[in-house]
Amino acid sequence: MKKIILSLSFLLSVGIGSSGLIGQCNSDNFSNACIPKLAGGFNFLKSYKIDGEGGSKEKVEYSYVFTKGTQYMINICANGQATDGIVVTLFDSGRNKVASSKINGQFIAAIAYPCNATGIYYIQYTFDGSASHCGGSALGFKR
Amino acid sequence: MRILAVGLIAAILTACGSGKKPDEQAFLNSLDSAKSQGPSIDEEVINSILQQIPSPLEISVLLKQSGTKYNSAILNSPDNLSKYNSNYKKALNLGIYGTDLGYTNIYQQNQDGIKYLSAIKSLADGLNIGQFFDVETIGRLANNSKNLDSLLLITTQNFNTINHYLQSQSRANLSVLLLTGGWLEAMQVTCQVAAHNPKNQDLRETIGAQKIILEQIVLLLTFYKGDENMASLLKDMDGLKATFDKIKITYTYKESTMEVVNGVSMIKDNSTTTIDITDQDIAAIKDLTNSIRNKITS
Repeated sequence: MKKIILSLSFLLSVGIGSSGLIGQCNSDNFSNACIPKLAGGFNFLKSYKIDGEGGSKEKVEYSYVFTKGTQYMINICANGQATDGIVVTLFDSGRNKVASSKINGQFIAAIAYPCNATGIYYIQYTFDGSASHCGGSALGFKR
Repeated sequence: MRILAVGLIAAILTACGSGKKPDEQAFLNSLDSAKSQGPSIDEEVINSILQQIPSPLEISVLLKQSGTKYNSAILNSPDNLSKYNSNYKKALNLGIYGTDLGYTNIYQQNQDGIKYLSAIKSLADGLNIGQFFDVETIGRLANNSKNLDSLLLITTQNFNTINHYLQSQSRANLSVLLLTGGWLEAMQVTCQVAAHNPKNQDLRETIGAQKIILEQIVLLLTFYKGDENMASLLKDMDGLKATFDKIKITYTYKESTMEVVNGVSMIKDNSTTTIDITDQDIAAIKDLTNSIRNKITS
């Protein structure tokens, strides 16, 4: 019986190890945690995973059509209270920088963007001295 | 005891081997009849375009804030549910009913909302994605007007989960139909409302700005033109795009200014867009949208 239990324990540990559950970026948890952190009055639209794959990815990018007259909020959640060096930068369709969560060297956990020009925008997450390269984000809107 | 141990090992190995839950397999099997010629482009590209299509909820909020009264007559009646027997029609009308549910939620018309919820659940079950629609919770929240925020949140989350699931199962074609249906319904509702408020600049610009989204939808449909149904829808949407092509959108970039207020980076967007759209453009878009939408809902 002891042999069977030992064999089972071995099988389970090998299974868990090879499926990569240990040490992986659980960005789903971070993005879900970000949703209730959207400021009051903002309606949830999308959640985004930020997985820098342990530093092998320089950026994670999504896109969304923002509409003139609508205010959007994008926040960042990571390990601890701060953003763990994760920066969100917004670019317009011509790749002009429109907004950033890093201002004067300060990492800010959310940006509020009252859109004045309808179009496709790129929501880009980068890692500036990040320890885990892992986080989540939520996008909300209000009019 | 030995039997128990062997059974446990077998269960673990089976679970590791297939990687699919029974409901996922049922879902895949059920769509075999609807298998279309696969897209000729990377699925990652399709998914990245899909996720940029804005939520129809944004338009419903605009309509309410513009002072427009609730009008159930402009929505697709839940009574039409029995007409939707193919996966193609189910997916398109799931999107349409999703927009209608958002509209009833925003206006807090709970009795109508419950009917749409039931229709949505039925269509989602028909596509074997009903497990992602939490009807019980949504129904409970819909019965109390104080729960509007939670209601909108859960509904949006459920639709996001469905879209992610479809994309992860290489069934983005259904996701494209769902989003196309949702967009068409939002367009149809906006055009109907704009017809009664011809001077409302916000509504006019909202209609004109849909040119950007329609271009993305047409692009998505192009990837699936090997499928007969998708090709037919693409033809209709191409016709609508031709009408939108007359609208001129001028974008002027000017660097934004930013400041930190209460821990939030507040942006002042100095860029602008101007949208040149005529009464004739709006009338033509309204007629064509209505015609395409009627083909889908009838």
